[in-house]
Amino acid sequence: MYPAVIDNYDAPTSVQEALQAFANGGNSSFFVAGGQSLMQAIKARIISPKTLIDLQHVSELKGIQFANGAVRIGAMTRYRDIAADEGLDGAYQALRDAASHVGDRQVRNRGTIGGSLCWNYIAACMPPTCIGIGASIDLVSKKGKRTLLAEEFLRGPLETSRHDDEIVVAVTLPTPAKSSGSAYKKWGLVTDALPVAGVCAFIELDNDGRCQLARLAVGGLATGPRRAEAGEKALIGVSAIDASGISEAAGTAAASINTQSDMWADAEYRKTLIETLTREVVATAFVRAGRGKHS
Amino acid sequence: MNKEVSIKINGEVYRNSVPIRLLLVDFIRDVAGLTGTHVGCTFEGVCGACTVQLDGEAVKSCLMLAVQADGRSITTIEGLAVDGKLHPLQKAFNDHHALQCGFCSAGILMNMAEFVRTNRKLTEDEIRGALIGNLCRCTGYAHIVDAIKEVAGTPAQSA
Repeated sequence: MYPAVIDNYDAPTSVQEALQAFANGGNSSFFVAGGQSLMQAIKARIISPKTLIDLQHVSELKGIQFANGAVRIGAMTRYRDIAADEGLDGAYQALRDAASHVGDRQVRNRGTIGGSLCWNYIAACMPPTCIGIGASIDLVSKKGKRTLLAEEFLRGPLETSRHDDEIVVAVTLPTPAKSSGSAYKKWGLVTDALPVAGVCAFIELDNDGRCQLARLAVGGLATGPRRAEAGEKALIGVSAIDASGISEAAGTAAASINTQSDMWADAEYRKTLIETLTREVVATAFVRAGRGKHS
Repeated sequence: MNKEVSIKINGEVYRNSVPIRLLLVDFIRDVAGLTGTHVGCTFEGVCGACTVQLDGEAVKSCLMLAVQADGRSITTIEGLAVDGKLHPLQKAFNDHHALQCGFCSAGILMNMAEFVRTNRKLTEDEIRGALIGNLCRCTGYAHIVDAIKEVAGTPAQSA
């Protein structure tokens, strides 16, 4: 596998320069983030860019910022930096769960959250995680800025709402309620493999330790990552020690999802995976939310 | 089509005009002539044999273009031993017979040299988890893990 001829390579140092490079490059211009997926596609000649615009030197796209619990993660922030950031613990810890098991060390040294969201691979971990924790995606183009919820941004596999001339600049998360927690877990054929299924749970507790808000998001689906609203509703009023309530909600969540059969798992087995993973991430999210209550 | 690059490899600067589509691994092997960095999976990015350090961090050099490494510093297996003195990992690989055909060894060493630099006691699980991006088809990994275990947690490494 080897790339087709590439006419131009630009390495801008600001978002404005990057947008201008795209405008100059015209058709068949592509932005590259960490390149851990895109370079494979370029080498396989699934994509043959005429102009490649490398975002690696755009420092305004990098880093994690906190303000009153709200979080802004630059699109070019790498998995290794997300995996290491304890500031995300509690409400947004699912991001660390997901980032610390993407690919392998080498991939995590290069791969970015923005790149993963823009590629929206069927077996990616960032898409369901960002939907689960209620993330928003900030985009910018020469025409202006806009912000979409992750679930509006992410569509079917390899599809997003991003226009070709838009750059994802950041993933933002609102100030969470004090007693909130999240978790993500995937299941693949071997350790840290691309997930056959992955589930993210976000839980917010009331003063009595009961769930007052829940979000569940599932990845590994032919339809693209999506929420399991029926499971979310079933979690309302459930407490951490209510094992049967959690199990029931997990079953409801799995039953409500349309799963596909493919070479890794048939549809029924995928439902079983989703149910089991949901039970586990909900239990973990409850524990993390409970910790927040006492802090 | 072509672009001028200046890439430091093992302390030596290579200035060349290269095709934009040239992969970093091919720059290292064919332009710099450093063939210790291997190509295993023929550029799919799954085997880890082409792992080098980019400004000290392990990356797969088949998943980058040479032009993306312009102005940056690369360390390859040829740069791991300093002044003829083997890196502790290289010595441990010798002592533990941690290689058979040796094709994957350069990539594993470049990945693990960054990993053990954290200088804390690493568990076997952590070591095995860190090796996920490097395929070895000969050893079954047992001796590789033993060798890394011996070095992990010992005083700071230079590479």
